[in-house]
Amino acid sequence: MWRWVAEAAAVFAKDLRTEFRTKVALNSLGLFAITVLAAVSYTVGPYRIAEADRPFLLSALLWIVIFFAAMAGLDRTFVKEEETHTAPLLRLAAEPLVVWAGKLLFNLVLLYVLMALLVPLYSILMGLEIPRPGRLVALLAVGGYALAVVTTMVAAIIARAISRGALFSVLSIPILLPLLIFLIEGTRAVAEGNPGGVSSTLRAVVSLGGVMTVVSVFLFPVVWND
Amino acid sequence: MIRRVAPWVLLVWMSWVIWAAFMRVAPAAGFQGQSSRILFFHVPTAWVASLAFLVSCVASIMYLARRKPVDDARAAASAALGLLFAVLATVTGSIFAKVEWGAFWNWDPRQTSITLLLLIYAAYFALRGAVPDPERRATLSAAYAILAFVTVPFLIWVVPRIYWSLHPDVMTNPDPDSRLDSSHAQVLMASLAGFTGLFVWLYNLETRIERLRRSRAEEEL
Repeated sequence: MWRWVAEAAAVFAKDLRTEFRTKVALNSLGLFAITVLAAVSYTVGPYRIAEADRPFLLSALLWIVIFFAAMAGLDRTFVKEEETHTAPLLRLAAEPLVVWAGKLLFNLVLLYVLMALLVPLYSILMGLEIPRPGRLVALLAVGGYALAVVTTMVAAIIARAISRGALFSVLSIPILLPLLIFLIEGTRAVAEGNPGGVSSTLRAVVSLGGVMTVVSVFLFPVVWND
Repeated sequence: MIRRVAPWVLLVWMSWVIWAAFMRVAPAAGFQGQSSRILFFHVPTAWVASLAFLVSCVASIMYLARRKPVDDARAAASAALGLLFAVLATVTGSIFAKVEWGAFWNWDPRQTSITLLLLIYAAYFALRGAVPDPERRATLSAAYAILAFVTVPFLIWVVPRIYWSLHPDVMTNPDPDSRLDSSHAQVLMASLAGFTGLFVWLYNLETRIERLRRSRAEEEL
């Protein structure tokens, strides 16, 4: 068990090291999120939305920025292995589930870093008021995990195809839309101070993330070893 | 024998369904004008689109378990038919929505679900088109079909609990007055059986054509 964890941590550390050399995924995610946030803030801004519509519209815009920023960079973890022809070596060096766990952890850290930078900036620029920040943090944590699980699996699938960049969004978005709906409703409940709405969303997101984790554990070795 | 007779039985059955939908039953109570008649075609097309998705998922699981190319052909044939029936369900649903609610589209949870189903089918074929190697194409598209199928229960049962829906529930509604009466239910059941038969027939044809195409390609090699 500990050997398995140590190997997954080694895959994660390798990805982190190679990412800091090129910063392709970090730049893609971060710059895309900042650019879209600037566009949204300039065109919509904090005062052009009616008071009654603010919780829903600001929650929807926040998650749309996060989801599309994720689409811009989370495929890199597998695509770079294929582009640099290091995937065969990784297949020889580690078990499929170790690779999956390491890559998932890397995508998760990338997403959490993005959220840590983006959400406070979004709240300031768009005037999103959060009465109980702890609930939003819980929602971001479980939402980020579910998002990372799905995108890691889809990234593994598209890495073996041609025209990968476009395919990643095309394949991910239909699967992620239920999650997007849940998270928008949950963030709206947080902004409106509705704890019942937050807990029902958390249950839905945790169950979706859990189911996707189980399916990924079964499917990833098939996709990776093919 | 069954292969030769089945299309003719289906032709007679579907002709009766079309006749009964327009001539045998009066418009159902609680609907605008003649709009209820489209239910006899909309509900079965939506059912077949969902059934095709399930068949495609089962065939994909079988492909990953047995690695037989015929299972991949089955999954692709079922997905192609599912896409066709999902488009038909969307078009008939939009016509009904325009008559009943005044707009072709209003992002009702059921409309959201069928749109996602269409997007998933389209993505499945985009993936198949992007993988040149047949074996790898079969494996990757099977994995995607299974991954996508997992989201369906969330779309059908969880999303409608979050969003209020205008969509009528004429089959399982707890209020008996909101359900279809027996003559309408008979035609609807006959239509469901007919459309399911149509799907099975088309699915067999598609699978046989795909098998012939593959064996011809092997002979050429």
